[in-house]
Amino acid sequence: MIRRFLERRRYMREHRWTHAHLSDYLDDELAPRERERVEEHVGICPHCRRVLRTLRRTLESLMELPVEPRPGLADGVIRRLGGKP
Amino acid sequence: MLATLAAASSSACQATGDGFAPPRPRRPRVSAPKPDSAEGQLVERSKAGDRLAFEELVRRHADRLYAVVLRFVADADEAEEITQETFLRAWRSIERFELRSRFFTWLYRIGINEAKRRAERRPPVSTASSIEDSPLEDAPDWSDAPELRAQQGHLRQVLQEAVRALPIEYRAPLILRDVEGLTTQEGAEVTQLSEAAFKSRLHRARLAVRRAVDEYYLESEG
Repeated sequence: MIRRFLERRRYMREHRWTHAHLSDYLDDELAPRERERVEEHVGICPHCRRVLRTLRRTLESLMELPVEPRPGLADGVIRRLGGKP
Repeated sequence: MLATLAAASSSACQATGDGFAPPRPRRPRVSAPKPDSAEGQLVERSKAGDRLAFEELVRRHADRLYAVVLRFVADADEAEEITQETFLRAWRSIERFELRSRFFTWLYRIGINEAKRRAERRPPVSTASSIEDSPLEDAPDWSDAPELRAQQGHLRQVLQEAVRALPIEYRAPLILRDVEGLTTQEGAEVTQLSEAAFKSRLHRARLAVRRAVDEYYLESEG
């Protein structure tokens, strides 16, 4: 009984810690031991695994948002720098 | 216990495909030209009043600055106006620019502050000062959903709307880091936040945008 309680408490601690560090994990901004800590928890937590996978997909899609060019932009700035309308 | 966890972890990894894929690659298109010695010289010459040198800086940075500003104001004409205004302000105050900062982070800061000022004058899209970033419990894992790939245009629109719905203090870190590809250090410098504060806002903003796709996916499934 006590053992299960302690395991549950540890699980929830790891759950909160992992959820707070998923971005750092994807950005490769964790120390090796911390990366392992995320991976251990994600391996046993379907919720965190789903969030990690969909978060990664979200970031990939954000990186692909198109950039709409504005032709003549720099020339327009330069004209205004010279005091021309 | 650890062995059990490791085994579970390993099987989960296999079961979920890319569960523990390596960190995502850095964005291939870097938002701003990397500062080099030529740029340093252009900045020095501009500080001494050489307008031709400053014009070269305009050519180097105008397109990317415009792209960043456009994510804040969502109107091409207004983004162009802010971009022009940013360079005019930068030219007027370049004497005060300190060379220990990077030119483009200083420039982005001026541009983003101007975009924020204008955004704050408009009626807010959302009055929320906080963001909803908790995952929807009943949402499935859509990371490999073929229908999302097929609806790439819709997904893009959902993402753009979700980014624009973020409170402005969360939007800036996400745009700089994830859309424009700056490093955490560069983004923190532009926003004048500590790296820890920048990362904290970035994470919440990412979770909020991710949740918006959860909602979209659930709606499109239902």
